[in-house]
Amino acid sequence: MSAPSHAAAAPLAAGLTRDELIAALAPFGASVDPADRWDLTLLVPRAQLRAALTHLRDDARLRCDTLLDIVGIDYLSYPNWTGPRFAVVYLLKSTACRHRVRLKVLVEEDDAALPSVHDLWLIADWHERETWDQYGIVFQGHPNLKRLLNHHEFTGHPLRKDYPCQKRQKLSANDPMLDQLTARLRQRGWTVLDGTAEVRP
Amino acid sequence: MAYTPVPAQPRVPEVNLGDAFVTTTVDAVVNWGRRNSLWPFPFGTACCAIEFMGVVSSVFDVSRFGAELVRFSPRQADLLIIAGTVTYKQAPVLRRIYDQMCEPKWVISAGACATSGGFYDCYCTVPGIDEIIPVDIYIAGCPPRPEAFLEAIVQLQGKIGQERLRDRRAVGAAPVVAGAGA
Repeated sequence: MSAPSHAAAAPLAAGLTRDELIAALAPFGASVDPADRWDLTLLVPRAQLRAALTHLRDDARLRCDTLLDIVGIDYLSYPNWTGPRFAVVYLLKSTACRHRVRLKVLVEEDDAALPSVHDLWLIADWHERETWDQYGIVFQGHPNLKRLLNHHEFTGHPLRKDYPCQKRQKLSANDPMLDQLTARLRQRGWTVLDGTAEVRP
Repeated sequence: MAYTPVPAQPRVPEVNLGDAFVTTTVDAVVNWGRRNSLWPFPFGTACCAIEFMGVVSSVFDVSRFGAELVRFSPRQADLLIIAGTVTYKQAPVLRRIYDQMCEPKWVISAGACATSGGFYDCYCTVPGIDEIIPVDIYIAGCPPRPEAFLEAIVQLQGKIGQERLRDRRAVGAAPVVAGAGA
């Protein structure tokens, strides 16, 4: 089998090479992740995370304008692992320069907290809520760190390896989500007269 | 004017009345109407709902069984068809929809997910909607063939034909008594 023709034909428009990306983030203490495969994964210290992400977004050569995802990892029971229990990976893409880069931060179990980046990319709001919901990692400075996928009466974080996969939790009543609804209405210039209770049919 | 009682008429045997009368029971007449005019409410959450579209459409044509009038308000429907996976986050919604339907009402659980949770054996999926609401007919399949849907409707019609008004009334929380309200 030969490679598809468009792969060779498409030139990387001013995209940074792998070595250039590594060099650009070296001032933030970034090093290549030992588990690096496909594209580029860099390990950054937690203290430098926000600065590194801001640089990736704003630098004229990097221009990572899209945050594709924020992913949690639980290394509990991972073979031959001695590092911190959790990791969070930020997947970035530059639609202008067509390079991708991933930043990985290791997070201790006792101090599972990271600075929020919801002000850098709007989509980080929901990604951080999901990571909090599934892994219990707190994002400091997040405006509304509620569960995203699981219901509001859920206790625990189901993607942690020590959560029993088949432990089911019933929900008695839905969350009417009035906090988000009223906030969105006010943002659009509406005046909310009474948003304190759900109207039941 | 003096009261003159009407003399008692001799009882006419039914066989002498020809086609003018049909004798039956209230149950039979009511059930005949109910089972041949089911109004389904499709609670479709996954691929089984796509299959249900085929059931309603022309090739399989559920209107041959009188159940083609799909309603999207629970207050206008008497047959709740759950077609797809139900999560615990959705469960209160499903329960409220069931509660809003007027008696008499029936429930068909269509497909593996609604019946047992399917292969979603995990923390977020309800392992069978009979945890939340009573179910009359279960359909196997992932998703079921349209013929299986039709078979379920035919079986439900048979079940409705067996019902008696007295039994249904006993299921409800409080019997409806005419004129008892304020």
